[in-house]
Amino acid sequence: METVLTTHFANERYRRLDTYRQYGGYEALKKAFAMDPGQIIDEVKKANLRGRGGAGFPAGVKWGFLPKDLSRPRVLVVNADEGEPGTFKDRVIMTRGPHLLIEGIVISCFALRAHACWIYIRGEFVREARIVDEAIAEAYAAGFLGRNILGSGFDLDVTVHRGAGAYICGEETSLINSLEGKRGWPRLKPPFPASVGAFGLPTIVNNVETIADIPWIVTHGGETFAALGVEKNGGTRLIGVSGAVNRPGVYELSAGVNLKDIIYHHAGGIKDGKALKAVIPGGSSTPVLRPDEIDVSYDIESMAKIGTMAGSGGVIVIPEGTCMVRALSVLMNFYAHESCGQCTPCREGTGWLKKIVGRIEAGKGREGDVELILDLCDNMMGRTICPLADAAVMPAQSFIWKFREEFDRHIGEQKCPYGNRF
Amino acid sequence: MRVAFSETGRAKFERLLTRYPDRKAVILPALHLAQKEFGYVSDEAIVYIAGLVGTSPADIEGVATFYTMYNRKPVGKYHVQICRNISCSLLGAEHLIEHVSTKLGVRPGETTPDGKFTLTTVECLGSCGTAPVMQVNDEYHENLTVESIDRILDQLP
Amino acid sequence: MPTLTINGMTVDVPQGTTILNAAKEVGVEIPHYCYHPKLSIAGNCRMCLVEVEKFPKLQTACSTVVTDGMVVRTDTEKVGKAVTGVLELMLIHHPIDCPICDQAGECGLQNYYMKFGLHKSRYALEDKVHKKKVQDVGGQIVLDAERCILCSRCVRFLDEVTGTRELHFFDRGDHSEISIFPGRPLENNYTGNLADICPVGALTSKDFRFRCRVWFLKAFDSICTGCSRGCNVDAHCKGDILYRLKPRWNDAVNQAWMCDFGRLTYKAMNEARLLIPFVREEGARKVAAWGSLLPDVAFRLKAAADKGGTDRVAVIASPQSSNEELYLLRRLATELLGTKNLAFTHRVAEDGFADDFLIQADKNPNSRGAQLLGIPGGAAFDALVSKIAGGGIDALLIFGNGIGALSEEETAALLAKVPFVVQAGTNEGPVSKAATAVLPSASVAERGGTFTNHAGRVQRFRFGFPARGKAKNPIEILVGLGNRLGAGWTFAGEASVFRALAETEAPFAGMSYDSIGMFGQETKCHMS
Repeated sequence: METVLTTHFANERYRRLDTYRQYGGYEALKKAFAMDPGQIIDEVKKANLRGRGGAGFPAGVKWGFLPKDLSRPRVLVVNADEGEPGTFKDRVIMTRGPHLLIEGIVISCFALRAHACWIYIRGEFVREARIVDEAIAEAYAAGFLGRNILGSGFDLDVTVHRGAGAYICGEETSLINSLEGKRGWPRLKPPFPASVGAFGLPTIVNNVETIADIPWIVTHGGETFAALGVEKNGGTRLIGVSGAVNRPGVYELSAGVNLKDIIYHHAGGIKDGKALKAVIPGGSSTPVLRPDEIDVSYDIESMAKIGTMAGSGGVIVIPEGTCMVRALSVLMNFYAHESCGQCTPCREGTGWLKKIVGRIEAGKGREGDVELILDLCDNMMGRTICPLADAAVMPAQSFIWKFREEFDRHIGEQKCPYGNRF
Repeated sequence: MRVAFSETGRAKFERLLTRYPDRKAVILPALHLAQKEFGYVSDEAIVYIAGLVGTSPADIEGVATFYTMYNRKPVGKYHVQICRNISCSLLGAEHLIEHVSTKLGVRPGETTPDGKFTLTTVECLGSCGTAPVMQVNDEYHENLTVESIDRILDQLP
Repeated sequence: MPTLTINGMTVDVPQGTTILNAAKEVGVEIPHYCYHPKLSIAGNCRMCLVEVEKFPKLQTACSTVVTDGMVVRTDTEKVGKAVTGVLELMLIHHPIDCPICDQAGECGLQNYYMKFGLHKSRYALEDKVHKKKVQDVGGQIVLDAERCILCSRCVRFLDEVTGTRELHFFDRGDHSEISIFPGRPLENNYTGNLADICPVGALTSKDFRFRCRVWFLKAFDSICTGCSRGCNVDAHCKGDILYRLKPRWNDAVNQAWMCDFGRLTYKAMNEARLLIPFVREEGARKVAAWGSLLPDVAFRLKAAADKGGTDRVAVIASPQSSNEELYLLRRLATELLGTKNLAFTHRVAEDGFADDFLIQADKNPNSRGAQLLGIPGGAAFDALVSKIAGGGIDALLIFGNGIGALSEEETAALLAKVPFVVQAGTNEGPVSKAATAVLPSASVAERGGTFTNHAGRVQRFRFGFPARGKAKNPIEILVGLGNRLGAGWTFAGEASVFRALAETEAPFAGMSYDSIGMFGQETKCHMS
């Protein structure tokens, strides 16, 4: 299968500019400079490149939202906040192929007519930020960044901006606020970042992988990229498989790969010969699937059809013997911890969900608690400034809908049938 | 007790200012710098940064307390941060946390009496494929087992 | 002008109007906390969720701009459940301090709970998050972080209006808490407004704390007398005691705000008042009756003018008197007493503190009124004081409680040079301690009239409650004196006086209480 990103990731030197160029690095950039920016955007549209951060918004369409008039400078912000539990692919791109990202940035900024880019890297990725910084320094030294890049007349400055520990900053407007030196509170939309974004300027925010795909698209054409995937979800994806599998890790696969194959073929099946109990398919915020539901194409539309999401490409595999109430409790703790606190339903609701589920898990659940959780979920879903509340609600709802007996048993027996252990 | 950046720190700060169109954008990197230079983000550090950036201490405090990585109180020489999110938990993170807690004699959130270790549990560190994972100061340690954790912690000077 | 249909009613609104504000036009109240017309839109409380056709999710009315043909419903079950749901979530950590909370009776949570809640709590008491209560955060404010609904109005006010940013959110999630940085309390002159804009009892007034339940208070329109800005206020009283002043909306003068100094000016109307007429005999106060005192004062003023000439009589006016009172006083002085020794005084030195927002240097509400009505201040006042000091005055009629910045001793020394000093004043002070006769006057709360502010805007203040003790409306005092000096005045109250002055005083030509209305009216010419 053709790979777009990981072709040379096994080579530890690929992160260095000299090796990157040996493998054709920055040739795409030269080709891009000979194109019209509008042509590049067209290729990205043809590529059916859906945002790789989790929302899956078509990148070419997003790029088209920038205002036509160039009177205000536009900027690109790369979202490297990778915080969705189960997701660990952008880290691989940044450590193994940072120049892929940088070349993607230069081409994208050329297409968007942006002359400034910030790469927002989550604070915990200290080593990753350093590697990216080194690659940026190499790029500046070689004239791939800075003034008059490759004599094209195009100027671009790129800066790494480190986060400091907040999952919510993966949401694009929260990220922009964090970039501006504020608390990571998401913003009301409209206005959208394409009109009013970072520092009030028209801004495009894209995930690391989305931008890293751009050089290949320019080299091989959008249609060729699209053909690697399926109809409305072009190209390949970096899919991270974690949990109870034999070969956890990142796999570059077609966007239309079968989910069952991801788990059993690529990731080597369930550890310790256990049976599969459940799969969270696209990062912790996506509705959970039962084993009888995973024989499905992993593309965005097909996953949506079965009531879940491909999300950030993080497949979490849950084996038999796992207490689903405890698993949910772990997740509810997460969302309560990460809620930014700005708006009422999420701020209070995530905390309440955590307490109710925790109570049930500890054998102190009360009659009506499950109905209370579901009612609370109704009061949170779709009521907030950003989708973090929805992200907490979807696991809560889906775990209860698909594993209801476990919750009922905890409450009825006033203890965890699995002995309070994973 | 007032604080101020070292000469190198100040130079870094000045350079940061040139990378953004707005002065306030340096607040996050400045807090990281302060934590490195002063050991933790103290009240004095907050006031200092507020002065450098040109805003109120309350403004800076609001930012510093929003993000988990800024320590408003001193931490031990080694900040042992073990992930307790879903993929790590599925692979035994709870046991590891308990083990380290017993080993060091502290509960999560506490620091050992000799000031060497602070133990905290953290949310997803973005390395789920090599779970269980922990971060000690700036470094990630992956594919953890009880034995490997013991080895790592015992070897720390 | 886009057309909005809301709950079946159609209305045209100016471009850019939000659903929330458009709804007000047709009498539809959409509940909200974080929205405030004078602050940026936050959209975080989520109380104002409404159904908008063609939108799958509920939208916040405060932030959604009306587009032509938009159809909105606030009266559906879905909206009702959403509002109740948000309210329930807002209340789960609320301490329900109502029995000891000053906000009770004017509390956003109470009001909306009665309208949209009425639910039983499903949240365990022991699970409530606790935060710091009863914190003195500086200025006029006490903070109770547990009661806070985190609407961010206070943070936005201190960012957008005062620019001082002393309050901010700390931590995140349901542990988010509003606080000051330790050791950096509120330090601006507008802290009192925080208690006004806080929808709940999180930020409350130190001065008002525990003093009165708000449902006992009666409100009446007044004007702050703290400086020449003339901020419009709501004065709140119980019986004949004032409890607080709150700003009243007037975009031309003070928007929705007032300063901290102004807020406390009500105290002077309660405390150390002159309430009984008296004369000073052999150094001691002797109570007098209005019926005999007023004719006696008129007689002695006239006698002094007859004996030594009109130049031996002087009148000091007060820039705290209303336009109506100053008009009558000027006529009394010039027409009836025939003296040219007329000037108005200042309560404090002219170079008082001022800022570029509301606070004016002139700490009197009606200096401009005095000027426009032909009573000079400044140099003319200084000259008059010199004349008095030189022993050139036998009888002095003085309105007000002090003479410029003179201390008690200096005032006593000055007035000792005048054989007969009659004061019409509201409060004990340097003058009442030295005057020969004291005519207690009604305070701003106890009478009606108009002031002219620094920008020449004439504004009405309204009668609140009958004057305490035996204090009299200064208009009554002036008419009483005037008629005993042969004026033949038939004025019944401030309205009739204003009608008269509007006829003859050029700056006020054509004005009436009607034209002044609720928001005031600018005078015709401004004296520099």
